[in-house]
Amino acid sequence: MSVDVARSPTTTRAEAPGAPSRPPKEFDRPRFLKLFTGVFFLFLFAPIVLVVLFSFNSSRSLQDFEGFSLRWYEQFFESESLRDSLIASIEIALITMLIATVLGTMLAYGLVRARTRWSDSFNVLMLIPLVTPEIVAGVSALLLFTQVGLELSVTTIVLAHITFSISYVTVVVRARLASLSLEVEEASMDLGATRWQTFRLVTLPALWPAVLAAGLLVFALSFDDFVLSFFTTGESPQPLPVRIWTQIRFGVRPTINAIGSFMLVVSVLSIGLALLIPRLFGRRESGLKVLLGREGA
Amino acid sequence: MSENSPAIRFEGVTKRFGDFVAVDSLDLEIKSGEFFSLLGPSGCGKTTTLRMVAGFEQPSEGRIFLEGEPVETVPPYRRNVNTVFQSYALFEHLSIEDNVAFGLKRRKVEKDEIRRRVAEALELVELHGRGGVRPRELSGGQKQRVALARALVNRPSVLLLDEPLGALDLKLRKQMQVELKGIQREVGITFLYVTHDQEEALAMSDRIAVMDRGLIRQCGTPEDIYEHPTEPFVAGFIGVSNLLPGVCENGGVRLAGGAVCEARVPADCTSGAEVQLSVRPEKIAIDEEIGEGMVTVEGTIVERVYVGTSTQVIVELAAGVRLMALEQNWLRARSDDRWEIGDRVKLGWQPEHALVLR
Repeated sequence: MSVDVARSPTTTRAEAPGAPSRPPKEFDRPRFLKLFTGVFFLFLFAPIVLVVLFSFNSSRSLQDFEGFSLRWYEQFFESESLRDSLIASIEIALITMLIATVLGTMLAYGLVRARTRWSDSFNVLMLIPLVTPEIVAGVSALLLFTQVGLELSVTTIVLAHITFSISYVTVVVRARLASLSLEVEEASMDLGATRWQTFRLVTLPALWPAVLAAGLLVFALSFDDFVLSFFTTGESPQPLPVRIWTQIRFGVRPTINAIGSFMLVVSVLSIGLALLIPRLFGRRESGLKVLLGREGA
Repeated sequence: MSENSPAIRFEGVTKRFGDFVAVDSLDLEIKSGEFFSLLGPSGCGKTTTLRMVAGFEQPSEGRIFLEGEPVETVPPYRRNVNTVFQSYALFEHLSIEDNVAFGLKRRKVEKDEIRRRVAEALELVELHGRGGVRPRELSGGQKQRVALARALVNRPSVLLLDEPLGALDLKLRKQMQVELKGIQREVGITFLYVTHDQEEALAMSDRIAVMDRGLIRQCGTPEDIYEHPTEPFVAGFIGVSNLLPGVCENGGVRLAGGAVCEARVPADCTSGAEVQLSVRPEKIAIDEEIGEGMVTVEGTIVERVYVGTSTQVIVELAAGVRLMALEQNWLRARSDDRWEIGDRVKLGWQPEHALVLR
């Protein structure tokens, strides 16, 4: 009879007579871990579920669900200022995605391929935007823009967003690039492709899943960013999260639930798409691993 | 470009990485149509030499000529050479056909001709009909064939091969050796082949350069290098060699154990000079196999290793002086019926098979 590792020998002996013979588990995980995980997810998702639920509430109440209706969504889409904010947010997220993806990919290429004695320092420096408190980034961006005399507008938000998004792209793309052997690029040049042709015909196709996934991640991050946008936004149009905040100051209305639910859907869709990308490319690796920079060759 | 110029010529080529000298003033000519191997242990500079021909590294000193033309200003993508990499380095996102067509497309060859030549190349490496497949669906051996086809289809003046069979298992490697040699004969392109596998180099090459620490130790035909190594390093690196320390005496070498062996002593080797006597295991006869005119020594069997086709018999002549002889297993089903460890045996060899090395 095999001995259950996790249990102490005394309990094993005490249980043995008469106890129904259960197949011993390899590692008896403590029960409280399951409970703990359950509670964690409950706290994580309960508020979100509530927001989504009450966005369909037919009454104004935020406590009692009285019936299903789409009136808050109608209000959201009929309000011109909210619509402008939504359009501004999407615009900001798209431009940020495009520019940050290009710049981040170039940075990753430089960091991986141009190995100098400074590479290690740059690899660390590049992570700073990821760990800088957003409020610091926001204040300093605001400071910079006013110093330079740039009027706060959608443009300044985009600039601020690009700055912090580049690092995300670089982290994701760099991991993929590191798994692409240098010999493959050499083979391309050996076969008559110039450096640029090699990048376009060999390197980029290998990087595509990572580049696209990183781009969608950046879209989601930019779309729901509040702090940076708050510091760098102009009067109008304000991006959606800032707009919500402004509205809440005059009292919470159920429209907020509708906007929140809508933003949730957009974010989940873009992240979900990012996770699906490798499969759309017919590759077997997991999108999660691409995003976390943990895939193998 | 003259017709008679060698395919590749190295003129005093040195390559340094920081303080490390990877290749040390290399002078070498590789003839057109030759299967030439650079053979040596890892870190001997053979791959660096190859990469300088491909254009991935620039010599620190000296010049390289391809078909008589100096190439130091020519980038890799304009050199008329192609490389087969150890890791195959196939383009995973392209089909086999597109992999093979890659070089021709860069050279703006006409579509119809590309199609024809790709088909030809795939036929050559026996992969016809598999052109639509992606590299990841192929086995290691097949990937290697694709890499070969992808390089050969461009009809380079020189094909560079960097340990191309290194990642294959033994059986496949042996089979590919024969095929590679056959393909080279068929296409007539100069092959510059880098390997650390001496058997591979011996089996395929027209000429071999044995390299060690950036220097060419010996350059010659496989037979030259195997039968007449000029230095202990070459004798030890190529095949198995018994290197016995001794001192020159007139007409022979006095071994550490005291026995004097007749051997062809080089003219510049004065009496009393310290040398090594090199004898290949397969040239050594044991006991009754010893024929007329052989040099003989006596010793004790200390180890017997059965390796299938033969048994390695290790004999100690004197303390610390050991010799390996091969006992062919062609008469026996088992080999352990002849001697025991500890038996005294006589060993003999023809004097001309013993080389005196310094």
